[in-house]
Amino acid sequence: MSGRARGLVWLSSLLVIAGTIALIVVAIVVDKDHPLSTLSPVGRQGRDIAELINPIFIVAGVVFFLVQGAVLALWWRYRVAGSETGDGEYGYYDDDEFPDQTHGNNRLEIAWTIVPTVLLAVISVFTLVALFALDDVKASDEDITVTVIGQQWWWEYQYHLDGDTDTPPDFVTANELVIPVGVDVALDIKSRDVIHSFWIPKLNGKRDAVPGRSHDWVIQSEEPGRFRGQCTEFCGLSHGYMKMVAVALPTAEFHQWKNNQMTPAEAPAEGTPEGEGWATFSQQCASCHVVNGLTSAANRGGAADSPPDDWDIYGEHNGGSAGPVLTTELVAGAAPNLTHLMTRGTFAGSAFDLYLNAGDHIPYLDLAEAGTLNRGELEAWISNAPERKPADADDLRGMPARTGLSPTDIDNVVAFLSTLD
Amino acid sequence: MTVTDRTITAPEETLALPAGPAIAHRPLGIFTRPQGSEGWRSWLFTVDHKRIGIMYGAAALFFFLVGGAEALFIRLQLATPNGSVIGAGTYNGVFTMHGVTMVFLVIMPMAAAFANYLLPLQVGARDVAFPRLNAFSFWCFLAGGLLLTSSILVGGWFQNAPDGGWFAYAPNTGLLFSPSKGIDFYAVGLQILGIASLVSAINLIVTVLNMRTPGMSFFRMPVLTWMLLITQFLLLFALPVITVALFLLMFDRLWDANFFNVEAGADPLLWQHLFWIFGHPEVYILILPAFGIVSEIIPTFSRKPLFGYHFMVASGIAIGFMGWGVWAHHMFTSGVGPLSVAAFSVSTMFIAVPTGVKILNWLATMYRGRLRFTTPMLYAVGVVSMFTIGGLSGVTHAIAPSDTQQTDTYYIVAHFHYVIFGGALLGLFGGFYYWWPKAFGYKLSEAWGKASFWVMLIGFNFTFGPMHILGLQGMSRRIATYRADEGFALWNMVATIGAFVIAVGVAMFFWNVYVSTRNWRRAGRPDVGPDPWDARGLEWMTASPVPEHNFDEDIQVDRLDHFWHRKYGKDESGRVVRAAPTSEIAHDGSNTNVHLPSPSYWPIVLGGGILLVGYGIIYNLWLAAAGLVFLIGAIYGWILEPADDPDAAGHHDDHHDDDDGDDHGDPDGNGGPSGNGESASAETEEPETEEAATVG
Repeated sequence: MSGRARGLVWLSSLLVIAGTIALIVVAIVVDKDHPLSTLSPVGRQGRDIAELINPIFIVAGVVFFLVQGAVLALWWRYRVAGSETGDGEYGYYDDDEFPDQTHGNNRLEIAWTIVPTVLLAVISVFTLVALFALDDVKASDEDITVTVIGQQWWWEYQYHLDGDTDTPPDFVTANELVIPVGVDVALDIKSRDVIHSFWIPKLNGKRDAVPGRSHDWVIQSEEPGRFRGQCTEFCGLSHGYMKMVAVALPTAEFHQWKNNQMTPAEAPAEGTPEGEGWATFSQQCASCHVVNGLTSAANRGGAADSPPDDWDIYGEHNGGSAGPVLTTELVAGAAPNLTHLMTRGTFAGSAFDLYLNAGDHIPYLDLAEAGTLNRGELEAWISNAPERKPADADDLRGMPARTGLSPTDIDNVVAFLSTLD
Repeated sequence: MTVTDRTITAPEETLALPAGPAIAHRPLGIFTRPQGSEGWRSWLFTVDHKRIGIMYGAAALFFFLVGGAEALFIRLQLATPNGSVIGAGTYNGVFTMHGVTMVFLVIMPMAAAFANYLLPLQVGARDVAFPRLNAFSFWCFLAGGLLLTSSILVGGWFQNAPDGGWFAYAPNTGLLFSPSKGIDFYAVGLQILGIASLVSAINLIVTVLNMRTPGMSFFRMPVLTWMLLITQFLLLFALPVITVALFLLMFDRLWDANFFNVEAGADPLLWQHLFWIFGHPEVYILILPAFGIVSEIIPTFSRKPLFGYHFMVASGIAIGFMGWGVWAHHMFTSGVGPLSVAAFSVSTMFIAVPTGVKILNWLATMYRGRLRFTTPMLYAVGVVSMFTIGGLSGVTHAIAPSDTQQTDTYYIVAHFHYVIFGGALLGLFGGFYYWWPKAFGYKLSEAWGKASFWVMLIGFNFTFGPMHILGLQGMSRRIATYRADEGFALWNMVATIGAFVIAVGVAMFFWNVYVSTRNWRRAGRPDVGPDPWDARGLEWMTASPVPEHNFDEDIQVDRLDHFWHRKYGKDESGRVVRAAPTSEIAHDGSNTNVHLPSPSYWPIVLGGGILLVGYGIIYNLWLAAAGLVFLIGAIYGWILEPADDPDAAGHHDDHHDDDDGDDHGDPDGNGGPSGNGESASAETEEPETEEAATVG
């Protein structure tokens, strides 16, 4: 190969490495603030993790440059250009020059075994300290415990305001987890079917929702805001569409929100579009979806505003008689509770926005603040959910299509849903 | 299996021993052995470790194209937000099959290709310990590979492909949540592949332990031999674990067992433990052969011995042992409890030490060397550079609290592609270029090889480099699509473009194979010589391509890198000088009188029987019964077939040798391991002619 071609190869190799590094640096510096980024934590646990890992990233970066630099330096310094015909006496080399035939150096070997060992030992001390500190966090200030239940392909949140998960929850909501700012909220993570993983990257790392098991986790936000999340354990067909949101509200607003959530819905007047919508809903939707105060009497056999009787999904608190879990029978309660649907910013496992152009102005408290209802998406969802978000409705996983509904029916159902604030 | 093989064939060996008319009749009627080494039939029935190695390599390259196509579909689907190129259902099948294919049908058989081809050569043996069993390993692997890959097609495009991820976490893989046949294909296919690997592991372990040429003590074995030996031990112990897990899964799905049924009280973490107790050693099964290859290439093209040979071997062994104590780092978020997490976090951190030792020793080998950046050297140095990146990101996963942010994100995808593509695959490709002249008698084009390397390397970094960023920005793995406002669009597009650049690089490799072969044939098939790279191992001490009998005579090894030290000595001033030309040292393959095991019909029949049983278990037990008949018939045929075909022309029976060679090692135990037939002598040649005359 000519010297010129050799130079080109050399140049391109430098470009590859420099380019890769540049990409990473640009990405981290310029491209930092993403909705799910682990690089800009807002929660205390998230920050603790970042503070632990950032120096280690730097150490790794130094090692990276040392090794890559060594490769390039050795390449530059010791490469031998020249004949590669392989025809000569010395076979491939065609020359009789030999470097020192060094076989090794025991001191060097021991040194480069011990140095990384010590380095890693130091890192592991910090790791273990952080690990046990993060594990030791108990809910403080307020005793809220939220039972988080993963299900193909959405999340249910059962709020125990007194922190006692042995009693029925005070209220149930879905997909958007609302917490007060600055409070460590204890989570009790469970699953109704397969393994899921609950992850709000800006607040804390993830924790798996494993059927048959309860996992303790904690979530906290230092600032008010909406934080995106994503199920991170592969959970079947629509895994990619199983998202969630955590909302941190200032304490006063959180209490307002909480009080609103405990209020049951009221039946719309008959003869209005909302009333027609409720009629359709009670026939088509209420076999799975709960609207407190409305569907209970019809489908749940209890008092109108009683808590869900299926909260105890593993039967831990009910003599082993569990609610709906891991069966082909999808029964009432095993679909998102819609009592206050309009106070959420997203629907269908947070796959879709409920409001257009809302930004962060989601009407957790006041519908008047809402942006425009994302009517097209909501209507499309009601009429043919599996087309919007892959589901296996034949096997009762995911919402089945309701293509039999006329446009008027759907308009009415949307009108009814709009009252659920 | 191995015991049966020995005990049954040995008496026949004695029957066949007397030369002359005694073996002219067929003692067992129809059970005869195929003959000849020409034509396609000779490949189907071959028991030659070199041909089996080449077939492993060819099959692996075929599956590499399948797995690569799947990768391109993944990248197309993810190129833009709300992608709809293949849809969620197909996507799940595609990424599952991409992982399964690349791990079990590409990297493992590619490593098996090198192990089969090179292990006997590097230890100076005539073949592996159990040649028929070796052939069976290949056909069994092919059966498993075809069964798994056929799942893409049966019943419609990706309708019955496994869709639970290569890790197949329970209970998502249960019949309730994955009702298609996909997981059945996964469970049955991997069990068949497991049989193949297990049999092969035993075979290769016995080969290395028992069939080394005289003088080749353990610490005179090449590092590649060491790494392959460690790999085989890892396979030997890891495969039974996954087999148990797959067995339980298969029973759950097909016969209503309840091993992973949560409703019946099962804990899904059982699967995770079983899978990763296999799965993490599996990572080292994938990478150690490449480490061995790099350890062969770098010294050759640095013109220096490997720096710190003993430490390289020891670090490989250390990785082999420590690899068993880190599996739960795949489960930091699964809820195994803080104490387990702490223990596995620390153990994972320290496995970086022996790996780092390897990197530094490679660099030290290059230090003050005379470096020739040939294509194999580019790949080897590529491994040093790229694997380091994967190793460093690996250490960041060991920080368990931080891993709760990273696990199941694209940061992990980036990490293991730097390890498995940047480490294992680049190393294996380097091996292709390095040993190609040894196996086929001509070099691949350096120009195309270098161009292909750079295109692959650039594409690789543009594909997987950005995934570090995507992962840290919160992009989850295995999601079929992402929302536009999640901010993942830019780097996904870059990664997709990078993937197609890799595809171009791979296409250039195949083009190189075509062009180089064509040019070599047009040039009248010039001889590349036994030692085209001025290399060090015994495999270079015989003709290229390697003759069927490997070496003309046993090599008496007196030190590490024996061949190199035969070529070079030192003069009074300590300068390295040529001691003898290669042509005088290397064997020219002219000895036609080495006893070799005869080909056999039964390995491929047995593999076919297993394939039928596999489909039968999935679709219809009657089919399985038919397959079982095949299978048992093949085993009987195997047992009853004569040790040699008495009709074979040029039938060599060097029974004067200590080592009678077929299917088993050295029964007399002459004090040292010996694998090779003796050289031709007047004594052995005479009865040979006599015998041929009698037979004819």
